[in-house]
Formats: sequence, C-alpha cells, structure tokens
Amino acid sequence: MNISKLLSKLVKQKSIFFILVVFALGAVFSLSWQGGALRSAVHAEEAGVELPEFEGEGKSSGEQQTAEGVAEGEVPPEEEEEGELEPVQYRTFFGLDSRVVVWIVSELHLMFAAFVLGVPIFAVIVEIVGFKGGDIKYDKMAKEFTKLLSAAFATTASLGGLLAFCLFGLYPEFMGHLTNVFAPTMYVYALLFFGEAFTLYGYYYSWDILKGTSVKKWSHISLGVLLNLFGTALMFLTNSWATYMMSPAGVSMKTGRLLSLSEAFYNELWMPVNIHRLIANVCFGGFIVGAYAAVKFLGSKTKEERAHYDWMGYVGNFIGIGALIPLPFAGYWLGREVYSASPVMGNIMMGGAFSWTFIIQAILIGMLFIGANYYLWLGMGRIKGSERYTGYIKYLNVIIFMCFAVWLTPHNLPLSGEERAMIGEQYHPFSKYFGVMAAKNAVVNLIILSTFFSFLIYRRSNKGETVRFSEQGKAGKIGILSGLGFCLLMLISYAISLNFVELDAQIKGYVKPLIFALYIQSLAVCFAAFLTFKDKGKLAQFILFGVTACIAVLYFWFYGFQVMQKANLVLRYLSVTQVSIVMSCLIMNAVIDIFVFRKAKVVGDIVWGKMPVRSQYALLLLCIVIVILMGLMGFIRSGLRMDWHVYGLLQDTSQWTYTPTLSFMGRVVGLIVALFLGLVSFVFWLANLGEKKVKTEAEA
Amino acid sequence: MGNKRSPYLMFWVVAAVIFLFFFLKYVSPRVFQVLMGKGHPMPTPSTLMTWYIIMGVLAGLVYATTSNQKFVDFLGFLLPGQGPILKLFFQKIFLIAFPLVVGWFVYSYSLPGAASPVELRIQHPTLPQKYEKLENPFREKDADTQRRCIEEGKVLFQTYCRPCHGSKADGNGPFANSFRLRPINFQDPGTIATVVDNYLFWRIKEGGPGLPSESTPWDSAMPAWEGDLEDEQMWKIIMGEYDTAGVMPRQREKTE
Repeated sequence: MNISKLLSKLVKQKSIFFILVVFALGAVFSLSWQGGALRSAVHAEEAGVELPEFEGEGKSSGEQQTAEGVAEGEVPPEEEEEGELEPVQYRTFFGLDSRVVVWIVSELHLMFAAFVLGVPIFAVIVEIVGFKGGDIKYDKMAKEFTKLLSAAFATTASLGGLLAFCLFGLYPEFMGHLTNVFAPTMYVYALLFFGEAFTLYGYYYSWDILKGTSVKKWSHISLGVLLNLFGTALMFLTNSWATYMMSPAGVSMKTGRLLSLSEAFYNELWMPVNIHRLIANVCFGGFIVGAYAAVKFLGSKTKEERAHYDWMGYVGNFIGIGALIPLPFAGYWLGREVYSASPVMGNIMMGGAFSWTFIIQAILIGMLFIGANYYLWLGMGRIKGSERYTGYIKYLNVIIFMCFAVWLTPHNLPLSGEERAMIGEQYHPFSKYFGVMAAKNAVVNLIILSTFFSFLIYRRSNKGETVRFSEQGKAGKIGILSGLGFCLLMLISYAISLNFVELDAQIKGYVKPLIFALYIQSLAVCFAAFLTFKDKGKLAQFILFGVTACIAVLYFWFYGFQVMQKANLVLRYLSVTQVSIVMSCLIMNAVIDIFVFRKAKVVGDIVWGKMPVRSQYALLLLCIVIVILMGLMGFIRSGLRMDWHVYGLLQDTSQWTYTPTLSFMGRVVGLIVALFLGLVSFVFWLANLGEKKVKTEAEA
Repeated sequence: MGNKRSPYLMFWVVAAVIFLFFFLKYVSPRVFQVLMGKGHPMPTPSTLMTWYIIMGVLAGLVYATTSNQKFVDFLGFLLPGQGPILKLFFQKIFLIAFPLVVGWFVYSYSLPGAASPVELRIQHPTLPQKYEKLENPFREKDADTQRRCIEEGKVLFQTYCRPCHGSKADGNGPFANSFRLRPINFQDPGTIATVVDNYLFWRIKEGGPGLPSESTPWDSAMPAWEGDLEDEQMWKIIMGEYDTAGVMPRQREKTE
C-alpha cells in the first residue's frame, strides 16, 4: 500500500490518529513560528514602575537575568569560581516563548477542568431526575458521561502537572512569591484532589453495585454530590490564586510580605470569578455533551441510536441554555467588580486595549443564543402539535437578531477619515446609543426573555387543552404561591435594601426609580399569580413578559443613560434591579407554565430522532463557539494585568511583557481550541473503545 | 398558527435585506439628521453597514431553515417551471439581478481609488500606572472650597480649553471645525462621565504626544499642557469641565 492510499484510507476511516497527528504537527509549527515571530517583536520599552524588592532577594528586578544562559547551562566563569548562582527570574521553553507555552497549557488545563467540573453537576442532576421519574434512559446517560469524565479527569490532571512544572520552571521568581503567599492552600489543594479522584472513580465504578434499592441509589447520588463538592472546592481554591494576581490583598504592597492569608485568599475578585466560572462550567459541559451527542447522532445506524442521541443532544442543549441565561448577569457582576478593584483595569477592559476583544465576545455570545434558539426551533419539528406555535418564530428571530445587532455595535467604530469628516462628530448615533452598557444590558435581557419564550413554546408544543387550575390540587396552589413568595422576597427585600444604600443625597435620588420599578414588578408578579388562580395563566404570562420588557428593557435602556451621565455609582444598583426583575419574570412564568400545562391533554408525541442533520451541526457550532469563548475570556482575564504578574505589586520584566495584538491572540486561541477539540475527541474515542469491543463480541 | 406553504419565502428574505440596505443607506442618515438637529445627513459607517447587512442575511437564512418545509419552499423559489406567473417573474428578476449585483460589488471594490484607511480606534488608551492612584486634592475639601475651585476651573477652562472644546464643553469651540477628528463632546454620557477624573488629568497633562503606542498620534490633537499649567490648575480645570458639561466623573467604588 503506497502512502497516498494509506492517507486516503486513514481519511476515509476518519481516523482519530490522523487528526491528532495533524493537530500535533500544527501545534509544533505554530509554536516554532510564534517563537520566531515574538523574538522579532520584542518590546523595547521598559515600564515606568520598578519591581518591588522582596525579602531574601538580593537582586533588584531591573537586573534581569538572561534565561538562555541558564537554560543552556552556561555558567559565567567568575560565578563558577565563586560557586554562587544568582536567582533566576525567567527561563525559556526550549527557545520558545514562555508566556505562550504557559498560556496554551493553562488554557487547555482550564478547558478540561471546566468539563470535569461542569459535567458531574448535571450528571448527578440527571441521575436524580431518572431515579425520581423512573426513566432508565436518564440513568444510562448520566453513566455514559461519568465514563467520559473518568478519561477526561486523567488528562486534566496531566495538564495540571505540566502547567505546574511550566510555571515553576519558566517563572521561578513569580512562583516563589505565589508560594510564599499561598503555600498552605497548596497542600489543601493536593488533599482535595485526592478527594476528587476517589469520589469520581467511586461514583463511576459503584454505579451498578449501588442500584436496586432506594437506599443504595441515594448512597450513590450522595457520592456524586460529594464529588461535586470536592470539585467546586478545588476550583474555588485555585481561583483565589488567579484572582489574587488581579486584585492582590493581604500582602504589603511595598515588600510583598504576607500579612493575612485569608485576605489574600478572599480577595476582591475571588467570589465573582467563582460564581462566573461555576455557571460557565455547567454551560460548557452542557454544550460539550450536546456536541458529543451530535457526533454520535450523525454516525448512528439505527433508529434507536438516533432517538437516544437526539434526546441526549436536547438535554445537553437544555442544560447549556439553562446555564447560559444567568451567565451574562454573573459576567456583568464580575466586570463591575473589576472596575471596583481598579478603575484603570476596568477602563482597559471595556474602553481600552481589550475593548475590541469584547466585540468578539459579543459576537460569540450572540452566536450561542442564536444557535441555541435555532436548535429549539428545529426541535419543534419533531413534536406533533408544534405547528400552532411556529408562527412566533419569525418574530423571535427578528427580535433576537436586532438585539444581536445592538449587542455587537461598538462605541468606537472603525471609521475612515472621510467618514469621520462626514459624520462631523466623535460618535455616530448608532454607536452613541447602542455602544454603551445601558443599551447592551437592555438588549441582552431581551435576548434572554426571547430565548425563554422560545423554550416555553417548545415546551407546550404537544400540549393541548388545559385543565382548570382548581384541578391542579394543592400542588398547584403551593407551587404558584411558592414561586410568588420567592419572587416577592427577592424583589421587595432588594427594594428595601436600596433605601439604605450609603450615597450622597444628590446621587441617592437616582435610586428611587429603581425602588419604584421593583415595586411595580412585585405587583405584576402578584397579578400574574392572581390571574393564574382565575384560570387565565396564559394571559398572566403574557402580561408578565410585557411588564418586564417595558421596565427592564425599554425604561432601563433610557434610564441607564441618565445614570451614566449623572450618577455612575447607581449603575451597580441599576444592573442588579434589572437582573432581579428579569429573573422574577423567568421564575414566575416557568412556575405558571408548569402548573397551567400540568395534566393538559397531549396532542402528539415527541418523535425523538426526527431531526434534520443541520440541527446537529448547530449543536457542534455551539460547542465550538463556547470553547472559543472560553479561550478568549481566559486571555482577557489574564491579559488585563498588562505588564504585571501580580497587579501593582510584582511587575513582569520579561521580554514577553507586552499585550499581544488581536491577530496574534486570535491565532493562539485558535490553536488552543483546535488542540482541545482534538484532545477531547481522542479522549472520548478512548473511553468508547471498550464499548465497541463489547458490541462487536455481542454481534459475533 | 400553522405551517403554511410559502413559495415566496426567498423573495421576502431578499426583499428584507434590500430594505435593510436602503434603510441604512438612505433613511437612517436623514432620520438622524432631523433627530439630532444637524445641518447634514449622518451617513451609516461602512463597517456598521457591512455588519448589519450580514446579520440581516443570516437572520433570513436562519428563519428559512427553521423547518424542512420552509427550507424546501425557500430553495423551491429557484426551481424552474413551478408556481404562478408572478413567482416566475420574480425568479427571473432574481436570477438576472443577483449576478449583476455581485458583479457591481466586485467592480466597485476593485476600482482603483484613494481613500484613507479605516482605523480601529481605542476609546480609552491605557492610563499609565503612575496616574492610577492619583486623587484630585480638591475633591475632599469642604463644599465652599470645592465650589470656589469649580468656579476657578471654569474660568481656566474657558481660557485654555474653550477654543476647541467649546464654551459649553460640547465639542463645538471656534476651532473645532478645523480638526479632522472633532474635539469630544463632554456632555455625551459615554465620554468623560465614564472615566475617573485622574484619567483626564493624564490626558490634559500629556495630551496627544503622551498617548501610548497602541493609540496612533493622529487619534488626538490635544496639546500637552505640562509646563504651561500647574497640576493644581489642571485639577481645577477638570472640576470646572465636569460642571460645565453637566456630568459627574466615574466614582471609585467600594467592592461588596
């Protein structure tokens, strides 16, 4: 067999090895090229602030030791005679750019970690749903994913080890400082890792042992919960190291001496990053699962397989969307806290060197929402009775795309000189009114409301005539009242708390409309509950959507400009009010929907497997987009520190201290995405090897 | 609501995109001219035009493929010999117009011409570290002192800044029209209201020449006032400038 035939055969068989070899070659070429490109692009400009001297270091930071000399083992003769070595600040990775090496390894580690931490959360939820509902396919799916987790876990750990060696090897001085501050937590990290490993393998291998009785199953579920607790604790712990680099606390800003480990650990950005990553991991896991199901669906040979993987894709997408909806809120909170930690870092992020990365982010987030909605709309095709609702799709489509257009409009447009002259002022009206956060917040809330509406019409596609609310029994009343109680508690408690915010009297006046809006929404929620009790649940949902859109989208769009102009301190409260109002609408409408359509006549079945192929490509797109998004956001979060290892405390004096250009960032993130998808495909393929063998034996 | 056959789906999608193009090209510039009381239309920037048109096309394609039936109807528009005469008429128009439009685009883009390059501007260049921790020394003073500083700052603003930035800080000074990139309208909530006041201190002190490398020198014609004005004068100008524009500087926040 000649080489061309061999290659052709490999391609035909879609050999995973072939793909991996291509990825590996790509990675090597890319790294080599980046190394060369970077060496030629070294920034000569030195930053103006000197690196503080740390205890035990007899060398000033300005006297940077050349890394190559140490790496190649060349010891200057005089030093050899004296037998002393000066402390090393930086080394290179076999001549490559150290920063890019750490960037790639840490991002890959983070992506695998996100999968390993996100998937167990919904594996346990799916297991509980399957157990309570008595549907075996949920249990089967939860197990299938835990099997994939086991394989991915080892890869995560290997990448983590590689990252640690890279960091300690390439950035010894910086890691020395980080160890000085966080050493005790590093031991805890190792212990937690043991806990994570034992519970994960215990959870997987005890699946068949711990079933049969209720007690056994609950024991197994408890093991899953424990796995999640270990995983979350692990993530929270490592987040403190990363966020400390952005908003250092608990150390002397002059000497770097540790003053309080707890303050360093619980620094300003720790909790916002924790919450954001926790939700993002679930979202990430959901879309990865969706893509896995899509690949399996596309390769399915039987109807049963198609039905199973279609259903799995739906669940993955559902979880992905479910986590995607609160994600912008968490992201906004994190962004605000970055501003609070350092207004300069905030300006760099949204208006400065990183502002264009946020336009890319806006495009990616828009694609996620559009892709998720598109999948839902296509999914309605498999439900008999859905034709009653498909007419709404065109309106939803127009709303979502219009919001997307506003969402990605930058405040500063790329303009030619002629255009600038013709416009005659700094901002074109489109960018002036669409490019600021007031507009962005408004449209993202409308996108969220529209996505939720898509889900509601999907959900009721095969539901026919509803029963009277009185026939829902106590469960209906308790459900609606619980939803109402929760929403009122959230809205009114926040409204009351706003009365006590400490602001100047002049600025505080801007808080009053927020309080008023919260009370109006409370009334709307009460009215919706009242209408539901009167058998007008659908009207209640309609009114609640309308009131929410009027307040949280239209009014706050306008009011946001006022606040920006006169009282930016109120923006924080404005955004929380906006979130609370939208969340109350989502929660109350979901509860109403459950009890209005409970026991409703079913007009048609869901035909799992009856999905066009393009729906599966939508799932694949969602997965690729979220991986790119994670790579991009990782770059932004880390890059915001500019030329600091630890912001304002330990300066980066290496040759790679400059902020990469957008195109360079794009290439590196692209490489990371390709490597991750290649690796994860390989890991999934490995995990399924045993299954294939069993199937082959069974067929034989 | 049901699934009706829609043999004109492609026609409607194309018509919607054409409508969007005409709206952005001819309608919105006039609408903004009226709304903003300008003496000239406000043309939609080419970058934004391209983005919005792409989104319009995408929206149409997404909608046309949300069900198999729609997809078939959408593509069916191009099939020969099917449907009523009106449809066949539009079909021929489409088949003739599409290559012509593509040809026109190719021709206009390849036509030699001179135009200044499109610039990717950064709104807030990175503030140098040495300015980050600076505080306006007059912000913590008593109300009377602050009022006095604001009044002094307003006088200084009118003396040194008015020629370009205008007496109302709206970017309409007597010299404003002489700049390719007009001075910023400080009354716009998206400008000085979004930054802390030490950011302005840096911009006044170092001006255009002090911009970092990622911001090109032609992004600002602001002179560097260091050497001509004392630091205290600059802080007062900042206070007067915010007061004149009727906006507040971004306040430093306490994290929760």
